[in-house]
Amino acid sequence: MSQSDNSFEPNVIDDEMLQKAVEEQWPEDIRKLAKAEGINFKDVMELQLSFRNILQIDNLWQFENLTKLQLDNNIIEKIEALESLVHLVWLDLSFNNIEVIEGLDTLVKLQDLSLYNNRISKIEHMDTLQELQIFSIGKNNLTTLENVVYLRKFKNLHTLNLTGNPFCNEEQYMLFVVAHLPGLVYLDFKLVSDTTREVAISNYHYLTDLLEHEEAQALAQLEEKQAQQKELEYHKTAFVEYLNGSFLFDSLYAEDTEAAKLAYLPGVDDLLQAYRKDFVSVCENLFNYCLKEHEKREAEVSDFYEGLREVLTANQEEGRRIILDFENQNRTRLDEIHHASSHDTAESMRAEYNEDILQLSETLMTLEMQMVDQLEELIKEFERNIAVITSTFIENVKGMMTQCRDLENRHHEKLLEISISALEKSLKNELDEELPDDVREFLVDKNTIVNMVNKSHNIHLLKISMRECDILLNMYHWEASVKEKALQNEIDRNRNRIKEIFQYIDDLQEQLDNTQIPDPTE
Amino acid sequence: MEVLEEKEEEEQKEEELKALEISSELHDTKTKLSVEQICFSSDVPDFDWNSIDTSQLPDSYKMNSPREKKLLRIADHYHQQYTHLCPERKPLFLHPVNECGVEKFVSTTVRPTLLPYTELYHWDGCASFVSDYLTMEPLKCPLTPPSSLYSPTTILKYQRGNCFDFSVLLCSMLIGAGYDAYCVNGYATHNICSLDESLEECPLLRKPQEEAEEPTCDHLCGLRVHAWVLVLSGKREVPETFFIDPFTGNSYSTMDEQFLGIESVWNHKNYWVNMQDCRNGCKDLVFDLSDAVHWEIMLSETDKPLQLLLGAEKKNELFDRNVDDMEEEEEEEEEEISFAMPPSWVAPIQISPKEFETRCSQGRKVILYKKAKLEKWAPYFNGNGLVKRLTIYADSNWTEAVEVKEWFKNREDMLDMREVNKQTQLTTEYFSPGHLFGLKVHAYKSMNPQTERVMEFYTETRVDGLQKLAENASEMKEYFMGRDDFKYFQHTEFRTKRKKVTLAGVGTDVNSRPIVQIKECFHRNLQKPADEDIAERVFLIEEEMIQLTYHLKDKYITASKKDFFKPTESYRKQSEIMTPEMCITYQAGSSEQHTKLVHLYKLLQKLTEEEKQLKQQVWRSQAEVLKILEIRENEEADIKLSASIYDTERNEKKRQEYEAMMNAKKDEFPGQNEQDLDYLAPFLIQMGSPEKMTRRQALRLRDNCLSDFKNRLVSKANIIQARFEKEVEELQKKNQLFQENQNQLSEKEEADLLADYSETMFRIHILALRLDREKQTAPQKYLALEEKLRKDPRLAEHLGHA
Repeated sequence: MSQSDNSFEPNVIDDEMLQKAVEEQWPEDIRKLAKAEGINFKDVMELQLSFRNILQIDNLWQFENLTKLQLDNNIIEKIEALESLVHLVWLDLSFNNIEVIEGLDTLVKLQDLSLYNNRISKIEHMDTLQELQIFSIGKNNLTTLENVVYLRKFKNLHTLNLTGNPFCNEEQYMLFVVAHLPGLVYLDFKLVSDTTREVAISNYHYLTDLLEHEEAQALAQLEEKQAQQKELEYHKTAFVEYLNGSFLFDSLYAEDTEAAKLAYLPGVDDLLQAYRKDFVSVCENLFNYCLKEHEKREAEVSDFYEGLREVLTANQEEGRRIILDFENQNRTRLDEIHHASSHDTAESMRAEYNEDILQLSETLMTLEMQMVDQLEELIKEFERNIAVITSTFIENVKGMMTQCRDLENRHHEKLLEISISALEKSLKNELDEELPDDVREFLVDKNTIVNMVNKSHNIHLLKISMRECDILLNMYHWEASVKEKALQNEIDRNRNRIKEIFQYIDDLQEQLDNTQIPDPTE
Repeated sequence: MEVLEEKEEEEQKEEELKALEISSELHDTKTKLSVEQICFSSDVPDFDWNSIDTSQLPDSYKMNSPREKKLLRIADHYHQQYTHLCPERKPLFLHPVNECGVEKFVSTTVRPTLLPYTELYHWDGCASFVSDYLTMEPLKCPLTPPSSLYSPTTILKYQRGNCFDFSVLLCSMLIGAGYDAYCVNGYATHNICSLDESLEECPLLRKPQEEAEEPTCDHLCGLRVHAWVLVLSGKREVPETFFIDPFTGNSYSTMDEQFLGIESVWNHKNYWVNMQDCRNGCKDLVFDLSDAVHWEIMLSETDKPLQLLLGAEKKNELFDRNVDDMEEEEEEEEEEISFAMPPSWVAPIQISPKEFETRCSQGRKVILYKKAKLEKWAPYFNGNGLVKRLTIYADSNWTEAVEVKEWFKNREDMLDMREVNKQTQLTTEYFSPGHLFGLKVHAYKSMNPQTERVMEFYTETRVDGLQKLAENASEMKEYFMGRDDFKYFQHTEFRTKRKKVTLAGVGTDVNSRPIVQIKECFHRNLQKPADEDIAERVFLIEEEMIQLTYHLKDKYITASKKDFFKPTESYRKQSEIMTPEMCITYQAGSSEQHTKLVHLYKLLQKLTEEEKQLKQQVWRSQAEVLKILEIRENEEADIKLSASIYDTERNEKKRQEYEAMMNAKKDEFPGQNEQDLDYLAPFLIQMGSPEKMTRRQALRLRDNCLSDFKNRLVSKANIIQARFEKEVEELQKKNQLFQENQNQLSEKEEADLLADYSETMFRIHILALRLDREKQTAPQKYLALEEKLRKDPRLAEHLGHA
């Protein structure tokens, strides 16, 4: 009755409505129980809000774990406020007044989506819904058949409903759709027959072939890009991003305007070429060395965790054995206490059992203490190994960077020589080549030219030092983080284990305390 | 020369020794007699060889050919020289009489034959066949070779013989199969000679350590004559020379201590006398038959040129010294060298498939081993399919059976083997795949239900993945494999009825055993978090309790637990359907003790439902066990043997079906091949098939027939024409397309198009050819039919002169 009243008046999703909707889903007995306990919206997996004259979606953020949501037969105009329902698999928005597909980007688990009977005129904004299997968008305002091509993205889409859209009246509608969506099993409630598919493919293969070609190209590009990205990531973990080839060398000159001018001087070009060659080869050495060291570090870490795992497994088994022994021995003990012949015997039995529990606790704690000692030893050794790796690495990197600097210094000296001789020649007007004016400007006195060369040299040295600094910092950071992680893991493990033992012992004692014993009078 | 002399001396010594032995033996006749008694104490019923019918045998059995006669002369001559040379040695076994009383040289009694059974292509197949097929007869005198040697065909016919008969037959088969095999006349131990394996471990029971029992002393040791087969290495990839004892079909090393000496060996081509010392048995013998120092050959003709040369030379030397006064024989000797062994007088050896399959004479064979008895039967011989039975005894006299193993074949219930332990009364039956319910092994002490038994199953054939089921009066254990719910073990305990209420022998009502508790164990399901994945579930049905234990979380040592106490009646009456007291929870690693009651309630509901199903499943299992027992009893009560569908002799049903099918086929197309299609038939039917026809009718018939044929020719031509035109049109279309798009086409597309184009051209060409031929042949065909009609007997009288 109230609902029919509401049909004239738009409704808001409020707590009351939600509470009611949740309760309605359960059978009588559970509802009572749940009500008494209080409902937590987090625990709700499915929610039905159909026929409630809802105008605006709101207030659903608490249903974090919702997998199925029905909002059909309302007067919703905009898809919104669904972002937090990331576990949704099933979403029904049919029979509403929606005009644009939007706001679904976060619902990546969505498999079944119904937008039947709305006012949508374009299929769009669904790129992230890669799990989509069933899609209903019948009775909407779709007019251009080409819009269907968008659905090619969804590799798992097998059921599609498009009936009642304007474009369905087009002669080629069916064949067009089938040809463009080869994975489709059901279209508009009907099984797509093999003959239809054949005809569709033969009619449209000129179009689909092209599409397929484009898609394949796009995919190939994407994969290539991803591969590159992956390699770069790998290089970054080895601290050698952009160190192979001439990246570093080029960066030396990137912001160096002086060097560009100097390059016009006779003989500089050759010098530069030689310098570049040497420099790049040192870089390559460094690059390969770093990659190798990276592998070594990874191996060291995985060795450590492997050893750790073995120790932990042995410890776990030992602990498990102790507990199982205890449980097997004391299976009937509570019963015995409960059925003891007198209060006094029960009391003494209880005390005895309590003693045993404490004994167990003692044993478990001792085991844990041994474990802590053992792991401490293991971690210390690991830290030592890591420290050795780090120091060797740093030393070697520094050595190679020094090689770079030496090359730069040598280059600098030669450049200076050339520049001065060029200056002398220029002063004597013996310079043959034509030089640009701004270069000529420098060839006035020795100071200017020396300053200029020095400036270029300083830029280069700075760049080299920065790159070196980069690598070293990364290395220090790595060392610290690996150590930190190992220690933290151990601390967490220890805490958890102690907590577990306490909890278990508490549980045992609680059971013992809860055991009723005969009254003293009897 | 010196060597020879030495050898002779050795020979003499040996002979002296033997003579001594014999004499000592002869003194003690009593012992000998007792020994002989043992020899003849075989349970083989006596068979009178004199009663056999020889009248049907071919002539070659009854007389000697000239060449054979000559051979006998040569043999006599050879023997003379032999006795002259080695007077102390026993006479050679050269030409005993055959079943028709005719002397035949032993080599001609060997008839190389390859029988058409794959099993007999290999030596062990042959050996086991001979040992199974023939019944052993002891030699009349264990110290001398027999006076007669019957043909292998006769031996096969009567399925019995002595060691010589066995050896000749086996040798014939082995040579036929390509082995370099020889019959051996020699000496062996009592056990070998009398087919006594009772001191040997049964090969089926043979274990690595074999305690050797002190053999009883045999006074005739080294004198007992035996015949066996020697297989030389070389042919058929035999790596090492070995002996085959024809009685057992077992192979022995030439070093075996049971073979004590060799007199002579022969095959179908030649005869060799051993010239080596046999005081140490056969251990040190050299088996290079071409070595004339160790082996004296009779006919120097052989296909080994080297041996021929050497043999001839040595022989000459040997005989020069001894026989130089017998000059008239010089010639003969020359002849002897080049004389070839005449072909065997024995008729071809044949064994019918039935005989081959039946194997043992009377279909049964018994072998006694040390503390064990092995019986063999031919397939289908026993109604229950029994083919082999091994009985193991506690004592050496074969009286107290300990264990019986029986092997079956061709049983419809797939029973393969049954083991009965007489001490524990435990019966174990093994089944081949294909039994109902996938039964693989069934071990039981009694067929009564609810007694101790173990059943194993072929897991892959069962939906429930049941692998093993073990039950006794109070419990049932089920082991599973590869189940979707990860269950691998289920243990059900029953309440045993104190008072055995046997209601008129029923006692089979499965529901009568109340279930006390059901315990299930599960493997880890990695798709669930460990503390939601149940490891063990116990339904304490009588105590109305359910205990859940979950899998261990990573690094944890305590497992999460939930103990449910099912609501009692008083609870149910109250409004509260679930209270915190009804479930004791231990959640490892989570301080949050409190799980929502709603969830617990749902879980309990689910568990209650599953408990119900589990109970039913237990009852179903119990019912299935009963069903299996019932089926087994029925099967045992009425044993059926299956026959291969190719075995027309046994598979009566199939044969009848086959015959019926053949008959039906014959009926279906009577005289299909006798007559071509009647080209007039359709038109005759149109005219109502008149018995006699008038001239007008005949003419009309002819015209109809001809015009019909003409129409068919035309339409055929039209079809070809139409296809031709279609192809041409297509080609033009393609041409046009190509011309239009030529510039936009990629190389591959262009290549495809060109291929397509040439394909079309090819089709057009073929069609054109066919059209052409059709046009040419059509008139000829038309005329041919006209001619045929003219000659047709039904029309001839009207058309003949038209």
